[in-house]
Amino acid sequence: MSADTLATAKPAVELEGITKRFPGVVANHDIRITVRPGTVHAIVGENGAGKSTLMKILYGMQKPDEGTIKVDGAEVSFRTPSDAIGVGIGMVHQHFMLADNLTVLENIVLGAEPKKLGLLDTAAARTRITELAQTHGLRVDPDRLVEDLGVGDRQRVEILKVLYRGARILILDEPTAVLVPQEVEELFQNLRELKSDGLTVIFISHKLDEVLGIADAITVIRRGTTVASVNPADVTARQLAELMVGSELPTPETRESTVTDRVALTVAGVTMEADGHRPAANDATYLDRLRAEGARLLLDDVSFEIHEGEILGIAGVEGNGQSELIEAIMGIRPAHGSVELGGRDISGWSTLKRRESGIGYIPEDRHRQGLLLEASLWENRVLGHQTRSPARRGIWVNRRAARADTQRIVKDYDVRTPSVDTLALALSGGNQQKLIVGREMSGEPKLLIAAHPTRGVDVGAQAAIWDHLREARAAGLAVLLISADLDELIGLSDSLRVIYRGRLVAALDPSDITPERLGGYMTGAIAGTEES
Amino acid sequence: MPAGLNRALLTVIGAVIAIVLAIAISSVAITAAGASPLAALGAFFDFGSSPRTVANGIATFLNRAVPLFIAGLAVAVGFRMNLFNIGVEGQYRLAAIVAAYVGSTFTAPAPIQIAVIIVVAAAVGGLYALIPAIMKVTRGVNEVIATIMLNYVAINLASYLVRGPFSGQRAEGALNTTTPELPESAMFPNLNFIFDWFGQPEPTRGGGVWGFLIAAVVLGVLVWAVLERTRFGFEIKASGLNGPAAAASGVNPKKMIIAAMVLSGAIAGLISLPELLGDKGAYTSTFTAGLGFLGIAVALLGRNKPVGIAFAALLFAFLDRAQGALQFADVPASVITIIQGMIVLLVVVANEVTNRFALRLEERRAAQQLGRNAPVEVAA
Repeated sequence: MSADTLATAKPAVELEGITKRFPGVVANHDIRITVRPGTVHAIVGENGAGKSTLMKILYGMQKPDEGTIKVDGAEVSFRTPSDAIGVGIGMVHQHFMLADNLTVLENIVLGAEPKKLGLLDTAAARTRITELAQTHGLRVDPDRLVEDLGVGDRQRVEILKVLYRGARILILDEPTAVLVPQEVEELFQNLRELKSDGLTVIFISHKLDEVLGIADAITVIRRGTTVASVNPADVTARQLAELMVGSELPTPETRESTVTDRVALTVAGVTMEADGHRPAANDATYLDRLRAEGARLLLDDVSFEIHEGEILGIAGVEGNGQSELIEAIMGIRPAHGSVELGGRDISGWSTLKRRESGIGYIPEDRHRQGLLLEASLWENRVLGHQTRSPARRGIWVNRRAARADTQRIVKDYDVRTPSVDTLALALSGGNQQKLIVGREMSGEPKLLIAAHPTRGVDVGAQAAIWDHLREARAAGLAVLLISADLDELIGLSDSLRVIYRGRLVAALDPSDITPERLGGYMTGAIAGTEES
Repeated sequence: MPAGLNRALLTVIGAVIAIVLAIAISSVAITAAGASPLAALGAFFDFGSSPRTVANGIATFLNRAVPLFIAGLAVAVGFRMNLFNIGVEGQYRLAAIVAAYVGSTFTAPAPIQIAVIIVVAAAVGGLYALIPAIMKVTRGVNEVIATIMLNYVAINLASYLVRGPFSGQRAEGALNTTTPELPESAMFPNLNFIFDWFGQPEPTRGGGVWGFLIAAVVLGVLVWAVLERTRFGFEIKASGLNGPAAAASGVNPKKMIIAAMVLSGAIAGLISLPELLGDKGAYTSTFTAGLGFLGIAVALLGRNKPVGIAFAALLFAFLDRAQGALQFADVPASVITIIQGMIVLLVVVANEVTNRFALRLEERRAAQQLGRNAPVEVAA
């Protein structure tokens, strides 16, 4: 927002002091972004940093509580997305919003159909689409059914759909998440053409190498607010990663090693297909064939061991297979390969049996997988333990014991709540998380899967959760830690693995690695394996 | 005030407002139909002039409420986990005819005879509901579509059975087809003696107050205990509130769908028994229809909780009883349907509003008690 930027041209989009509160949390706080016209402007930040809320505000899906939005120098106020479309802002969603059983042409005009005598004017639509496609170098066949298209083609249809409605400013939400590398390159080529035609692109991502490859300007969002605006020529992926993660947090250091030689968890050759699990008689040959065919694998031959008293950290840019790995170990999603807990093969077990035999799970998204928001705290204590003491008494739920045990968690884990009968949704994120940690540590687990255990919690709760993890580790618990917070990973883990595109690409020793170097491995900038 | 009580109070207030509004709107419809809303209102409370007609009115009212209550319970079990069992109608019709037929084929002491009929009815209802459940878990067929289609199958199958394989002796000159008469031991004792306690004449119409009322109350308590107190009920609740969280906690979604559907169907199978065992003694082609669909409205009105469903069933039955009285007051009886429709519509809206309000209130209360009125913390 320097004076000379304003002098050269009016910014395409200017956000000033945008703040958005939800009950109990502030999702965006004093956001300031200036996007110059005819550029690709990247907005980066971890998941949960507030990027999607910001984009919803810019696209008129949510109203900011404070702050102003200016488009081409004029202040605007959006009530619905159509207001945003009206001033030339279009959004390409991460998850495509296309009707599979319609043609490309029909999808593009859907909702904005050119009409002649009340009928769809196909000829006019075709002319317009071909024209748009040619000027912007977006090749599509307007008569193909969308269901026959690949992911890259579908994305082009989405972009055309937005252009067809006259958008001059395009928001792309994690556009590369679903693409393979060649398609990413193609997309970037398209974006460069759009840029040279004078359009403005706002590109949301957390894949730093890609951002550096395409963006003309980068804004970093952390914990709901803009922390830096940088020129991609002046920064490295590591510096960006540092900005994204921040380093003002207390350092989570584990003291002396408590790693034993007893193996708690063995994961061997776990592989997951992208488009549905097909059981195979001979995993090895089947998977070799898949790889030869170039099929997309969400997890590719992942193997590791965790010992009792060990914290194994998995580092990786989000979306590289972390969630899938968890789901494979938890038995929520089928995968090839084997998982052994304490020497017993649990690959064929149900999620319930795995939990009963001692796997605790702190999910990455506590609202989606961890809590019944509209149920009381004690009922949330029962969740996942419904078949075990103290929550169960024969066919009944042992309400008294469950309440008492929730009371214990509330006390030991410092959950700030009026009572154990309070609904879970009334608690702040940090307190919800402490309840989950307390619950998952109950019933003497042998393995704890902790996915982003301190995401979205305040610094105090963060320190408390780290303490609990360390204590449990000292008591012989094996922990699989997945986190986007590099300080947390390096500070807590006894050993580190890096996951990249579904494969474990490096084994590192946390005692002599810096967040910068780790960031290099995570983005694929540094290849190769270092022995821990 | 405890949080639970707070929420219950809000619900009741919401329901009362909805009912008052529904009556107001219906008054407009009544006026438009050229009748007097006051006369209509009076008719609802007009149980007749002689003690005998009052007794009959009360019996009709209660006898209507019992099957509605059971139907509401059946629907609620599915609703609890976001399963829409629209097939209650078909499940109870099929259960009714099979139970009526099986019951007529043998004679045993009353408790055994009745127990067998109840078990058969529940089994037929449950098995019939198993079909859409299996279709859903194996092939992902939407249970709404499947159950609606199966309703047509069941209704027509029932009319075929009553005329064909399961038909009994038709009385001389009667036009109705019917299954064979149930033996005397199958008939549930009535509750007319209660009228004697108050020195009132016993009702004479439709077999008096059906004794199945007691069974329905027991069923209500059982369903409440299963839903609110057992592990199974907890798993149903968890699946309904948050499917992914339930799955991550080891609740098998497929098993839950099958179990909830079958339980819902088994309860649905009992809907016809009050009438069958209390009055008719056989399944006839004029057997009360539409209870399954009304059950959906009753469950919605009662917010899927047994106590709420009991009140909803009583309200619907109270309105339905006024059929005759309204006609005497020169008000079209279809007014009842309009009021019922309005109530359901408005209660659904009121539920949504009070629910959101209650949750907001809970958040604020918790924040206040913890002394942080402006929580600033970042999450997404």
